[in-house]
Amino acid sequence: MIHSHIQSNGICVIRPDGDRLTALGANAFRQEASQLIDDGSNRIVIDLSEVRFVDSSGLGAIVGLLKKVGNRGEVVVCGLTDAVRQMFRVTRMERVFQIYPDAGAALAALDG
Amino acid sequence: MPYKVVIADDDATQRIFASSVISRIGFTPVLASDGLEALQMIEASGASILVCDLDMPGIDGHEVTRRLRAADLGRYIHVVMLTSAGQAEQRRLALEAGVDDFMTKPLDAAVLTARIRAAARLVDHEQVLSEKNRALQLAKRRIEHDLNVAAAAQRRLLPNLAREIRGCRFGSAFEPSAYVSGDMFGYYQLSEDRLGFYAVDVAGHGIHAALLSVAIGHLVTAQYFADKAGAGSNQPDPAAMVGALNDRFYREDGTDYFTMFCGVLDQRSERLFFCQAGYPSPILARRDGRTEVVGDGGFPVGLLATADFQNGAIDLAAGETLILCSDGAIEAEAPDGAPFGEDRLRGLIAEHAHKDVEALPGAVVTALADWRGGRPLEDDLTVLALGRSTPA
Repeated sequence: MIHSHIQSNGICVIRPDGDRLTALGANAFRQEASQLIDDGSNRIVIDLSEVRFVDSSGLGAIVGLLKKVGNRGEVVVCGLTDAVRQMFRVTRMERVFQIYPDAGAALAALDG
Repeated sequence: MPYKVVIADDDATQRIFASSVISRIGFTPVLASDGLEALQMIEASGASILVCDLDMPGIDGHEVTRRLRAADLGRYIHVVMLTSAGQAEQRRLALEAGVDDFMTKPLDAAVLTARIRAAARLVDHEQVLSEKNRALQLAKRRIEHDLNVAAAAQRRLLPNLAREIRGCRFGSAFEPSAYVSGDMFGYYQLSEDRLGFYAVDVAGHGIHAALLSVAIGHLVTAQYFADKAGAGSNQPDPAAMVGALNDRFYREDGTDYFTMFCGVLDQRSERLFFCQAGYPSPILARRDGRTEVVGDGGFPVGLLATADFQNGAIDLAAGETLILCSDGAIEAEAPDGAPFGEDRLRGLIAEHAHKDVEALPGAVVTALADWRGGRPLEDDLTVLALGRSTPA
């Protein structure tokens, strides 16, 4: 399950439910977030501030969204906790995603 | 479907009356004149319905019911108890003994007919359920058998768990979280002076991940490794092999990917050339007991079309050991949710590095099992250790 909020400027902030994004929930996360993209959102902030653990399936889901939006828009992440930051470092995802400290900073950057 | 109905009554008139009612609706009556005979008849006839008088010489209706419920007949016996008017307390005891339904004597043909038909409906239903259950059990046994065969096939694809190749000893542990694993590894001699090895961890686990890990296991043979990563006189290029795998497994519309660590050890120069593709950093145990973390990350394989892969190189001297663990190790969680983590893994390896490489993977597996507090691993685990022997 995800919590999503579409700002007045059309940017969509997505927050995964719970403190883990793993094989157990990654597919549902990807499908629900994909629906938002199908519904027209193409500037997306994935807020991971509540997530303390992302496994390889969770990472696959996040990258899946990036691939889906492609050149039509942007997918950025924010609020990386230590373990998640480490995961992004080992897989070089820090070179693939724009990373912001929190949702506010991400929104300001996307709107700028 | 017609049923056999056992009628237990010490009163011959009642028996014959009930018998004629039951025959009339197309069921087969089986007559018993006391409780013990009723029990024998149920077992011998295969009947699933019992019409039983409460008051009988020898064992009474309560006791017949209790013995039926305690017996393992492989089917449910629907018990209709005959009582006299005003035996309310007896009925309570009968329910506790396991009776399903009651009728008051004297018997009425219409009521008996209705009660027997109601019992027959329940027996029908129970038979349908038990048939389905049997089919499910059979399917479950077949699936488990297939999974066990698949698990054995996957293990056969792995190299020997421990082996020595030209002064380099390998030890390994391979622990699927359920039957088959999304992990795979291999090692082989590439040329006179060079050894190649790899470990992959497919995202996710279970059968879906295992299909891909086995495909990789079949593809990455010694020949493939030598062709792609270079076994000749040039500098080894494991990143080129990873790039070839990325080209092969990347799909625009897919979400499958894997992480990988592969290396070529040149025995002559004592250099290890490696490519880290999202796989956790291996730990290098030096001879003096210090440990180092190897590599600073790299893109996973099959995730991004444009990923570029890089080679790294370290010295690997005689007496030194390199240990690869899939992310199932550092991500293994204690009952309180704390992950095992890289620091603890490093400490563990430092503590056991003096051991043979054959024993080291087992020590990691044991430590993780302790950390998990006896709960099974949630992710597949692979530990691959390679140690360069000290010259004799």
